[in-house]
Amino acid sequence: MGPGRLWSQLRNDRAGLAGLLIVSLFFLVAAGVWAGWLGQNWSAANGGRWESASAEYWFGTNILGQDIFQRSIYSIRTAFEIGLVVALASTVLGAILGALAGWYHGTWMDGAILWLKGVLDSIPFYLLVAAVAFALHGKPWAMHVAMIATFWTTTGRLVRAEVMKIKSREFIAASQAIGLPDLLILSRHVLPNTLHILLIQVSITFVAAIKTEVILSFLGLGIQDGVSWGLMLAESTQEVLAGHFNNFMAASLMLFVLLLGFNLFADALQDAFDPKQVTL
Amino acid sequence: MATQKSKPVSIFLSLTLLLASTACDLQPEDGDSANAFTTYRHSMDGAPSSLDPVHASNIYSNFLVVNLFDTLYRYKYLARPYQLEPNLAEGLPLISADGLIYTIRIKPGVHFIDDPSFPDSKGRAVRAEDFVYSIKRQFDPEMRAQGSWLWQGRIVGLDEWKKNGADYGQEVSGLRALDDRTIQIQLIAPFPQLTHTLVQGHSAIVPREAVDHYGQEFAIHPVGSGPYRLQSFNNASAVLVRNTRFRQEPFSLAAEGFDPATQSGLGLEPLEGRMAPFTDRIEIEFIAEDAARWNAFVAGELDFVKVPVTQFDQVLANRNPPSLVPLMAEKYRLIANMESGFVHTDFNMDDERIGYHPDPDRDARNKALRCAIIKAFDWHKRNEIFYYGIGRVFAGIIPPVSPEFDTEQDQDLISRDLDGAQELLSSHGWNASNLPVLEYGFAAGVTDRQMFEQFRSFMTDIGYPAEKIRPLTFATYGDYARAYLNREVMLATIGWTMDYPDAENTIQLFFGPNAAPGTNSANYNNTEFNRLYRASSTMQPSPMRTAMYRNMNRILISDCATISGISRTLILVWNRDLAMLPDRSFVGGFFFRFVETNAPSAGDGTD
Repeated sequence: MGPGRLWSQLRNDRAGLAGLLIVSLFFLVAAGVWAGWLGQNWSAANGGRWESASAEYWFGTNILGQDIFQRSIYSIRTAFEIGLVVALASTVLGAILGALAGWYHGTWMDGAILWLKGVLDSIPFYLLVAAVAFALHGKPWAMHVAMIATFWTTTGRLVRAEVMKIKSREFIAASQAIGLPDLLILSRHVLPNTLHILLIQVSITFVAAIKTEVILSFLGLGIQDGVSWGLMLAESTQEVLAGHFNNFMAASLMLFVLLLGFNLFADALQDAFDPKQVTL
Repeated sequence: MATQKSKPVSIFLSLTLLLASTACDLQPEDGDSANAFTTYRHSMDGAPSSLDPVHASNIYSNFLVVNLFDTLYRYKYLARPYQLEPNLAEGLPLISADGLIYTIRIKPGVHFIDDPSFPDSKGRAVRAEDFVYSIKRQFDPEMRAQGSWLWQGRIVGLDEWKKNGADYGQEVSGLRALDDRTIQIQLIAPFPQLTHTLVQGHSAIVPREAVDHYGQEFAIHPVGSGPYRLQSFNNASAVLVRNTRFRQEPFSLAAEGFDPATQSGLGLEPLEGRMAPFTDRIEIEFIAEDAARWNAFVAGELDFVKVPVTQFDQVLANRNPPSLVPLMAEKYRLIANMESGFVHTDFNMDDERIGYHPDPDRDARNKALRCAIIKAFDWHKRNEIFYYGIGRVFAGIIPPVSPEFDTEQDQDLISRDLDGAQELLSSHGWNASNLPVLEYGFAAGVTDRQMFEQFRSFMTDIGYPAEKIRPLTFATYGDYARAYLNREVMLATIGWTMDYPDAENTIQLFFGPNAAPGTNSANYNNTEFNRLYRASSTMQPSPMRTAMYRNMNRILISDCATISGISRTLILVWNRDLAMLPDRSFVGGFFFRFVETNAPSAGDGTD
């Protein structure tokens, strides 16, 4: 499916467009933070303890007197940073391993990759991620590694099945007949035909990575230096008890809206790529 | 149908009989009480891992151990600062003129509780030999004991006994039972804190028969001679019931250090002359989660709680002195309990980026940097944000709870001085580009992270670049402790709870030879400080020793080796109809025996 047809499908999906708009808005804010225009005072403790929302502090302050609004929008950058890195890396890893397993179906390589996938899938997901993050705790990329190591399996499974299907097509037989090496066929002719799966998987993994980061940071295994919605929610566990809900509300709402946007967008993408969907 | 009806009836009758019989078992047996069966419901924020005295190294274990077993000494219930009081001992020890030989007589007629480990299941009399055996256990490698450090290198022959295979049949020349009631301890060098170590749960007296009988299960099957015996224990709760054979000793307000000016409203006066323990049953709930513990208390499921800091706004009407809001004051009493310890942030003096440096010029610049950091630290704000402004900030390492604390201390030492800090930095050639990266260590957790962020904001106020102040996080406190004991943490925040009320216990934290992996995690090493410590550590309490302690404190402050410190104030709240004075310090568990749950004549309180 070409980009023009994809856009035309998406344009007719209002929920999908709304999702795209939300994600784009959040991405613009994240870009503003990256560029150093927004949220740069997230760590300054200039306010009083637990100040209410005001013109100066839109979402109020936390126990240290830090601006909750600044921290919330800086956390958008954190979410995108982790979402993008994990989604891209785990999708690429899943694509490569899935393609190899599918192409060499029935060989020892397929067996080894399936065994590894089976082992990883047999361990409860959050337990495995937490264990890897715990084992690598203190390393700056511990959380990313933990998520990439576990998120590739679904992509790998889907790509493997797709590659097995594609391998039986005539154009692949033709490529083999003219003596093209396997890796070239895989990279030039097979993987590009799994792009629809990869795009959907990127969007789904992006959402999963953000949610997992929040959980890991809440447990103290996530972000080490910086701020994220997970850390804000962890802080709020003590504040809510004292009747202060600003941290909780800010982090929860931001997370909810971004995830909603991504889910709507991912649904729209799935619908657009679904061959059963007929556009009249 | 008739059959169906008869089942509940029979169950009801059985339960009634069972309850009645249990209640009968637990009724006070002395003539002291016409009171009904009484229960006190205590809460703790952690659970003991073991009830064996050899493993009673945390406050939770210690609280139970000192109630299930006897120690030779305890602290007076009401006196502050703490004062020693004989417990199983007949009196304070007789100490030889050279301070090396301690002779202690134990009370006659004290028995262990009845237990199947004894012949005919009847608890036998406690003997001096039991104390000798109990201390030897701390040195038995098979026990993996945690209390041997208290007496290591102190008692003649004890370390050798361990080296020679820990044979219980072999006598230790410095630790002997002269007869059934007389203990003699011979020290290698004077150790004025010895009597304080005999208060701790680690020194509690156990019968050998029970240890042999239960083996490792002794940790959950305690057999002692304390005021209570264990009825049940798991990781959520423990139930202690009164030891009906506990020695009869009339309660004396005067002997316990009663101060009418501050304690007259606690309802303690009617207890005069009565026999402890006053309460028949103690239920202890181990609830780590603040919210759950607090909710259980306000729901009436507990009699006592340590108020979470996040509740202070709702609970306290005033901070200084702390008092309850009227609605709570109608139902509860309160005490502000200053911890017997302090929190401090040590510079790793072994780290050339901030500590000692072979180049004298850089060494002087590092000292200036440390002093600037200390001057930039805002103790007022730290206290305000994390301790509700009721912690006690002080300079140095002699905390307010210790008798040697200097009440006339210069307040400038704990006042923030941003100009002074900036002046120090610039006069020693420090600027934003050449300041070293500061690595602030902590175990991952919300409060510790917030403290780091606050520290970073303090430092940015003197121009320290925020990106040069980095967190060094660890998954667990154990990992963190291992790291700073391996000298891997540049700035380490540590809480220290005193093992006994003598400033020697905090001063040793900076004694050079105690450097990591010892307790001196700052790796501080000052010749004059070390000399004074060696000289004072064998001295009995005296004005001269206090002066030496304070001198060491001044040396440490002048060397800027630690950002110190604050003693936290805990707010303890309990039901108004209880006559008691709770204590949550490490040595505080002795108060259980003096809790009276039926105190109709309690006064209006001194909240």
